[in-house]
Amino acid sequence: MTASTVPAAAGAAPPSQQPSPETGSSGDGQGPGPRRRLTPYWLLLPAGLWLAVFFVAPFFYQASTSVQSGSLEEGFRVTWDFTNYSDALATYGPHFLRSFLYAAVATLLCLLIGYPLAYMIAFRAGRWRSLLLVMVIAPFFTSFLIRTLAWKTILSDSGPVVGVLESLHILDFTSQLGLTGDDRLLATPLAVVCGLTYNFLPFMILPLYSSLERIDLSLHEAARDLYAKPTTTFRKVTFPLSLPGVVAGTLLTFIPASGDYINAQLLGSPNTQMIGNAIQKQFLNVLDYPTAAAMSFILMAIILIAVTVYMRKAGTEELV
Amino acid sequence: MTITLTGVSKVFGDFTAVHPLDLTIPEGSFFALLGASGCGKTTTLRMIAGLEEPTGGSIRLGDDDITGLPPHKRPVNTVFQNYALFPHLDVSENVAFGLRRRGVTSVQKQVEEMLELVELGPLAHRKPRQLSGGQQQRVALARALINRPQVLLLDEPLGALDLKLRRQMQLELKRIQTEVGITFVHVTHDQEEAMTMADTVAVMNGGRVEQLGAPDELYENPRSTFVANFLGTSNLIEAEITAVEGEELRLKAVGADTVLRLPAQRCAVEDPRAGGKVLVGVRPEKISLTRAEDADSSDAAGAIREGSNLLTGRIRDAAYLGVSLQYVVDSPVCPEFSVYEQNVERDTRLVPGTEVVLHWQPSHTFALDAAQDADAGTVEEAL
Repeated sequence: MTASTVPAAAGAAPPSQQPSPETGSSGDGQGPGPRRRLTPYWLLLPAGLWLAVFFVAPFFYQASTSVQSGSLEEGFRVTWDFTNYSDALATYGPHFLRSFLYAAVATLLCLLIGYPLAYMIAFRAGRWRSLLLVMVIAPFFTSFLIRTLAWKTILSDSGPVVGVLESLHILDFTSQLGLTGDDRLLATPLAVVCGLTYNFLPFMILPLYSSLERIDLSLHEAARDLYAKPTTTFRKVTFPLSLPGVVAGTLLTFIPASGDYINAQLLGSPNTQMIGNAIQKQFLNVLDYPTAAAMSFILMAIILIAVTVYMRKAGTEELV
Repeated sequence: MTITLTGVSKVFGDFTAVHPLDLTIPEGSFFALLGASGCGKTTTLRMIAGLEEPTGGSIRLGDDDITGLPPHKRPVNTVFQNYALFPHLDVSENVAFGLRRRGVTSVQKQVEEMLELVELGPLAHRKPRQLSGGQQQRVALARALINRPQVLLLDEPLGALDLKLRRQMQLELKRIQTEVGITFVHVTHDQEEAMTMADTVAVMNGGRVEQLGAPDELYENPRSTFVANFLGTSNLIEAEITAVEGEELRLKAVGADTVLRLPAQRCAVEDPRAGGKVLVGVRPEKISLTRAEDADSSDAAGAIREGSNLLTGRIRDAAYLGVSLQYVVDSPVCPEFSVYEQNVERDTRLVPGTEVVLHWQPSHTFALDAAQDADAGTVEEAL
């Protein structure tokens, strides 16, 4: 119902059926020239080639790897051995669960931290808006790895954070919850989740900001004029209108976070390993390529299903 | 309910949007705030809505002081300029928004009735973006009216509509206002819109009310050059008062010898005396043209009535508009005299270059203080 009424919402459809300005208005019966008709495909070509070489080809290569059997010495052969999948699930089930749990918690934290900030930048920042936006993306000026290593120092046993938390007895509390242990922050689930939250926060803030910023301020005024208290205005107008940003932000945070292994490797312990760590180990240390490929495809499939369900639930196409 | 503004002002930084303003808007009236953009009319409206906090003064609704009340606690609703419909809600939920916020649970019937009033019943489940501009306008109106506000505020409600639709909506708004009997306060820059709908018009300029009154009163008897030029067109002639004879003023136009007369109460200058300078004004449609050579013969087509004000000039330009004819006449007292003639007995000899006598009734003449810009409120000034 909505798709037909939103003009050209899906800008991706390459062969545009809409008449071009000249040919449409003249009405002399001449169709668009062949060159013009091919333009969308030419525009598609660079990205298409790139994806074909670096995504589609590896995808099928890995797909075939995932159903091979054999060993490095004897060589791997496609045997349609789907036990790779069931074995991987049986062995690494906890890793999968942990990945999605950490990613979900980090995503939720990103949303809780990012939403107020994005709201403030969009509506209350005034002339500080640009500066604040630059500060949001400023971490990208340093590499992901360096930043995560910095967190290792920040959270180290003799570091200031542990000291403060200890003196406030907060570490005792988190230990009881099983989030930390031995009066440490490093090598705990808490540290991994903190690292994930920190690293993916900008991916939450930016889409949130862009969807909030587009909201016409007169809608706020209209809501207030129609007897809505400020909190009701937020609940009934601002938040629903920012849902596209919430959905985009949570996806951009959750998907990379569930596949991430740097944070778990640098800030975690063997007990906090995520599926990314397991896949990396299978590929680079154990050299069991079929299992590693099968694990990658399981991860991909779960994310795909989760995202589909989530998008259905959120129903963003019903929004603006 | 009557709205009373007492000394209400609004200052943004070093810009005074509204100078201390006293205004009484009687209950049940259709009141228009008319002025060019930046004159403070919208700011005044927003202060009544509570969306802008006055810098000084107080606003009362009936006997209640609402100056400090936030917008969601005021029994006042607004139709916004761009409608500000909630894009994520359908038409009926947009209309029900105010009722739901006030805890009304069964809104169905009221929403249906309201959509009936604005003739949108079949579109109840469309989203705003699926509606045309005129339909969105009606939704905005229904969304405000359903709350039965004490006062309905309309901020340029028809500005985004094309001319034909605007005309139709003007009549419709007037009908609805008569039907529901709520006080309407209407902000517009379109003088025709204000005159069609409002029973009282306040002409605003530079953060002040220039003149307030019924549309015909403002048009027939403007008290400032801004009002004379902003509402329709006026020909303004610099003149000097030569004599005050009871209820009549006699004047001499600068650059001509003819004596002009007008009733004393149509002079906006306080205490006019001989020797004082004024701007004499007359509306283009009040003037008749007679060819100079026919001026003395009483039986000619454009016979000049006894006691008329007379000026001579030469037609520079004549435009045939079907319903009327518009002439531009060069006269020694006023370089571009506009004259509109009804197309009843058209004198085809009135072509450019013809020497003519312009004549009109003294009672159609008005006089303004000469110490103001004669071009205030004209289109040229706005450009």
